[in-house]
Amino acid sequence: MLLEMKGAAVNYGRVTAIRDISISVSDGSVVTIIGGNGAGKTTTLRAMSGLVRLSAGEIHFNGERIDDLPADRIVAKGMAHVPEGRRIFPDLTVEENLRTGAFLRRDKAAVNADLDKVFSRFPRLKERRVQSARTMSGGEQQMLAIGRALMSDPKILLMDEPSMGLAPVIVEEIALIIEELSTQGMTVVLVEQNAELALELADYAYVLETGNMALEGPAKELHDNEHVRAAYLGI
Amino acid sequence: MFDLLAQTVLNACYSASYISLVAVGLVLIFGVMGIVNFAHGELFMVGAYVVVALYSNYDIPYVLVAAIGLVFVGCIGLLMERTMFRPLRDNPLGGLVASIGFLMILQALASITFGVRMAFVPPVTQDVIEFTDKIRLPLQRLYVILAAVGFLTALWLFLTRTRFGWALRASAQDPEAAALQGISITQTAKIAMFIGAALAGVAGVLTAPLISVNPHMGHSVIIAAFIVVIVGGVGSLEGAVVASIAYAFVHTFVTTFFDGVIADITGLLLMLLVLIVKPTGLFGTADRA
Repeated sequence: MLLEMKGAAVNYGRVTAIRDISISVSDGSVVTIIGGNGAGKTTTLRAMSGLVRLSAGEIHFNGERIDDLPADRIVAKGMAHVPEGRRIFPDLTVEENLRTGAFLRRDKAAVNADLDKVFSRFPRLKERRVQSARTMSGGEQQMLAIGRALMSDPKILLMDEPSMGLAPVIVEEIALIIEELSTQGMTVVLVEQNAELALELADYAYVLETGNMALEGPAKELHDNEHVRAAYLGI
Repeated sequence: MFDLLAQTVLNACYSASYISLVAVGLVLIFGVMGIVNFAHGELFMVGAYVVVALYSNYDIPYVLVAAIGLVFVGCIGLLMERTMFRPLRDNPLGGLVASIGFLMILQALASITFGVRMAFVPPVTQDVIEFTDKIRLPLQRLYVILAAVGFLTALWLFLTRTRFGWALRASAQDPEAAALQGISITQTAKIAMFIGAALAGVAGVLTAPLISVNPHMGHSVIIAAFIVVIVGGVGSLEGAVVASIAYAFVHTFVTTFFDGVIADITGLLLMLLVLIVKPTGLFGTADRA
């Protein structure tokens, strides 16, 4: 397993956000975590990347225990997190945003090569490379956030609601990008409210309900599951 | 009349220079750490006392004194980060209160060590550039102007051309998203604190031979710097520089043609006016203010 969360719990003060959550992500797979608002999806992702601390449980990444490391050290291990709401740096230019993603990398030539790769993956970012990021549309900002995460040359990509607030055409584009990344061998953990999209992209899926693990299984099976269909797919 | 105007412009350029050095450091610290450093004027004061301690009493070259002052005050900044602002990271109000306490400690240490009276600083240079017999620029003032331009340019290049510069700006805009890029908040806080404090210290070193050096000299500077930071837009470095120049010109002209008290009042009124017309300051944006 590339990433393994075992019996994880997170509390905010007295409120328990998630409890006893176990998630396994094998190398090269796309795993999705679906669920309603406040189910604990974002908290789970934030715990993986070290933005919130566990009150119980363990997280192992690439054979190492990481749940006691600060976020900036976990990035160095090869985990990239595309946060909810994109969180690009509004007053940095597009190129500066991307290069910030490569902050920990010292090999200039490799960074420049990856910058070119991101620009060829997202031609619109190249057109806007000297523009400040705040001037871009929501879809472009999402692409920038993904590009920035890729610039760290990660082993795994955590994505929090990449489709949020975007027009259906753009959502389709983002889905294609995730598919493409996956065929190129990237391991992806995808948190989505758009369960239809998530189950279509993922190999394996977890369903969170009010901080508890409700269901898990291969994405195709969950797609046909009565409960999932009624609660999340509106069928 | 032309002579007086030209002379006042030169004086304003000089005040703009040291005020902007102090204000930019204040903005940098606030931007990266979210803390209003009330002790910033006292860092300026410590810089001036480095000159008193080393230049007035020993035969150390002034340039070396300036370098020592810069590093010494920068290290005080690191000490503040480690002992106060890091433990109080999630508590900006606590950081502000701690910085007020630190201000008092620095003032008391300066009073104990050097006395409360004005300290003697021998002139570094007596040379004066005479444009005409009425328009004169003392060389020391020119040093202050050139140093300010030099340091601010260096800071600008650092912030826009280097990976640590991007990291600092990224962390100022969104510390959590910066951490997700592998940028350590502790590291950026240390850099911001060192640079911010060092700039205030070097401003104190440069102006020491020109102004009255005493333990309470930080007050007037910090008030000017706060006005400038608010007018320029909290969190905006370019705003702080532009507002420093604007403030220095208004203040110097009003002082020359009316008097100093009216100049202080005018400065504060202008700040109120800017806050009414554009509450985020001239260069501020809503998400940073």
